[in-house]
Amino acid sequence: MSDVPFLSLLLLTYPVGALLIWLLPRLAAPRTLALLVHAFGLAVSLFVLGHFDSAQPGMQFAEQTAWIPSLNIHYAVGVDGISILFLPATALLFLGVTLASWNSARNLSRLYHSLLLLQAGATLGVFCATDTILFFLFWELSLVPFYFLVSLWGVGPHRGYAATKYTLVMFAGGVPLLFGFLLLAFNHADFSGAAMPGGLSFDLQTLLGMPLPAELEWAVFLLLLLGFAVKTPVFPLHTWLPLLSMEGPVAVVALLTGLKLGAYGLIRFAVPLAPEAAQSLHWLLAGLGTFGVLYGAVTALAQTNLRAMLAYASLSHVGLVLLGIASFNVQGIQGAVLQLLNFTLIAGGLFLITAFIQQRIGSTDTLSLGGAAKTMPLAASFFAFFGLASFGIPGTSGFPAELLILVSAVQTHTGAGLAALFGMVLGAAYFLNLYRRAFFGPARNASVLAATDLQARELALVLVFAAVVLAVGLYPQPLLDVIRPAAEAWVGRLG
Amino acid sequence: MPMTELFWNQHAAFPLLGTLQVLPLLTVLLLWRLGETSRVAAPLARAVALVELILAIVLYRQFDPALPGFQFAERFDLFGPFSYHAGADGVTVLFVLLGALIVFLIMLYSIVRRLPDESRLLMVVLAVEGVMMSLLTTFNLLWFALASAVELALVGYLIGRWSSAPEKDKAMRAFYQFQGVGLAMLLAGSLALGWTYHDLTGAAWSFDLFDLAGLALPAKLGAVIFFLLFYGLGVRTPIFPLHGWLPTVAQHGNVAIAPSLLLGVKIGIYALIRFVLPLTPDAAQTWAPYVAGFAMAGVFYAALLAFQQNNLRRLMAFAVISHTSLVIIGLFALDAIALQGALLLAVNFGLAATAMMLMTGFVYRRVRSTQLDKLGGLFDRIPAIGMTFFVAGLAIVGMPGTPGFDAAHLVLEAAIHRYGALPTVAAALGNVVAAGFLLWAFQRAFLASAPAERKTGVERASRMELIIAVSLVLIMLAAGFHMSPLLDLIEPPMEALAGTFHHE
Repeated sequence: MSDVPFLSLLLLTYPVGALLIWLLPRLAAPRTLALLVHAFGLAVSLFVLGHFDSAQPGMQFAEQTAWIPSLNIHYAVGVDGISILFLPATALLFLGVTLASWNSARNLSRLYHSLLLLQAGATLGVFCATDTILFFLFWELSLVPFYFLVSLWGVGPHRGYAATKYTLVMFAGGVPLLFGFLLLAFNHADFSGAAMPGGLSFDLQTLLGMPLPAELEWAVFLLLLLGFAVKTPVFPLHTWLPLLSMEGPVAVVALLTGLKLGAYGLIRFAVPLAPEAAQSLHWLLAGLGTFGVLYGAVTALAQTNLRAMLAYASLSHVGLVLLGIASFNVQGIQGAVLQLLNFTLIAGGLFLITAFIQQRIGSTDTLSLGGAAKTMPLAASFFAFFGLASFGIPGTSGFPAELLILVSAVQTHTGAGLAALFGMVLGAAYFLNLYRRAFFGPARNASVLAATDLQARELALVLVFAAVVLAVGLYPQPLLDVIRPAAEAWVGRLG
Repeated sequence: MPMTELFWNQHAAFPLLGTLQVLPLLTVLLLWRLGETSRVAAPLARAVALVELILAIVLYRQFDPALPGFQFAERFDLFGPFSYHAGADGVTVLFVLLGALIVFLIMLYSIVRRLPDESRLLMVVLAVEGVMMSLLTTFNLLWFALASAVELALVGYLIGRWSSAPEKDKAMRAFYQFQGVGLAMLLAGSLALGWTYHDLTGAAWSFDLFDLAGLALPAKLGAVIFFLLFYGLGVRTPIFPLHGWLPTVAQHGNVAIAPSLLLGVKIGIYALIRFVLPLTPDAAQTWAPYVAGFAMAGVFYAALLAFQQNNLRRLMAFAVISHTSLVIIGLFALDAIALQGALLLAVNFGLAATAMMLMTGFVYRRVRSTQLDKLGGLFDRIPAIGMTFFVAGLAIVGMPGTPGFDAAHLVLEAAIHRYGALPTVAAALGNVVAAGFLLWAFQRAFLASAPAERKTGVERASRMELIIAVSLVLIMLAAGFHMSPLLDLIEPPMEALAGTFHHE
């Protein structure tokens, strides 16, 4: 079993697929080939999930090869209960984005689909890497395709500015991350007493077991928190997200709201590597989280565009994840991981439907939508379903996640937990308000009247997402079982 | 630093380094005899550039990084202290490879560009290659200074002769003025060292690295010589604030060939490592904080000016000045890791800058301008050229997966130890600023919509353009993901060099 490097196979699938699109142009249309590659990737990730031993807390499917031996940097990948579920979720979301842009990416479609494949490979790499420098490699690599996807296929007039801003903000956010990882490596060299280049260590497992002087630990935590907060995004570092969701190609923005790499980084690296500092700063995490929940919800109330509303809603929901992390108990972490998966399914699903609407109407503003439910009843009902799921209606996957987070938050940070609960109520308000204006009322716009409802391809895609949301919502236990041992180990490390 | 050498006849069938230098020069002579109208001239010149690249690869394959000291050494007495003495360590091998690669790419580039007087252009490029190989292999400081003069004179001719800008004389003049001063300083420093050797040991004058390296220079004299050599090399590198010629030359001179020859192979950085640091270690150590301070200022000064530019070529000139300052910060940390990082940065920047300049040349061929407001709308038509420009930009800002990342990573690691965290964070942020102006330039040059006055469609990339673009990207990515062989090459000599500096 373990002699086949499944994770490397998964990570290689995508760049090889991107290459095939260019090398074998006559084999199939770029989008068909891309779809096959994404499907293969999904199959591999499901296979890995199927053979994952959920009783074990440690890294599985681990591989390690020297990469830059003189600096002790390795190509090291592995998955545990915290990261494993992100693999199929990510693969599924990319498959969805490919299908959602089936007809919209006509210009330079070979480039579009190969960039999307590269983006998928880099994103999966982020979830698999267990060497901090390898993680950083994937982290930064995931910026490049995005820059082009937004610059070239964005729908807004300021897409070039949005793409540049996003890339620069992320580059700047990468600096504290790299410094945090370097400080850890230096500390390992000091601690082991070995000479400088040889004593460095970037291996997550090694670094976890290494004692860290208090001031250094604070520095590491703050650096990593800053770096990850930019990407998550955490208020007040979030301004790129609404901009990008308005300017970028709608289907591709689903990746941004659907994949919260920053929050994953906090769970995977920032907290476990600097546990004492993280626990001392629990108020900061909980405060940022709560403020994000409320700020995102209130701002979402003021939006007239579905895409802007969804961007602020995702800011609000990611606040809950921070709150879950700040509780530092098993339920909180289980809830946080589950909530991150919800982003992929629910926020991703919402944005895919928004992409379908954008393709038909050419806008997602309530001014030009109004009455869309008449001509697009299916799109409207699925939008409502995912919307309800996003604020945790029982029976959807949002429910167990938010319940776990809120229960543990009320125990550990009572005030923050109650405030977040209030934020959820606000969430219902902004969603229902905007939903009413966009989908009900008299239809005036000619393109709304002429719009066709979801086609078979689109419907199938949305149904898959909805089915997973329902299945997880009705029977979350298997997923919680997968997360539990790793979450227990995670909490155990905090001491 | 103990100096040892293995002569070529101990491990090679023929004097490889001599061949690398002489072959292009002999070819130039032959082409001269054949005359400029000869039809074989251009193919012959390109073939010789290919042979040079193959020879450089042979050198790399036969070079054994595990052996200490220099290899493939050649020595031949000429006129007293002015003797031919050449050899190679890992640093030499790396730069020779880079130089041969860049010249070969220029040869391919010239097929696409079809500049006037092609055979004369190729003769000049080949002559520069021969002299460059000499600069990269010689151990004789005087030889280095004189060969520098020849090389810069040739490049200056190239700058003016193959430029279509009305201000080309201005570019040529600025180049010769600045380089003239730099060369005078370099020559003065070399002569001072040769004379000091005679004065201190009582032996005859010598400019040989092996003789001069062990010399115990008096502190004040050491500082003067360090200053002369550093200034001399600083002009050509160029190091802030000695960079005044570059923006003018880049904007009005020859578009791609001359800048690639000058900035692709950073001879100035090479010579700092080969001559200045080993010959004046005490002065280098004393003055390192000041040099690093100036470089730190240079990173931001040039980056800010780059933001102001409306001409792509001028913008790239400031980009070069900004990133060269980072190399200097690394070099003058005077630490084994930082030296390796700085060297790799220099190679990476050279390769990336060459890629950007060649791609700019392709753009210029189509649009006849590098004014940013006349560009735009290019990516749809020439995506491969745009992508190569972009990847080179990423290499410059140290994106993981390009050689820039490993190099910058090494420099930062050492700089934290040497200068503390804050200046290092500042330098890293300088990189983010560089990312800013490069992305913005890319946005305006390639992605922005086409200017209204352009009526005709832009020509698609030709096969040769694609070959050049794709091979540049592949080389950068390969070096980025598989850095170990390069590190193996330069680790031993840089360890040895760092050993001559004492850190408390």
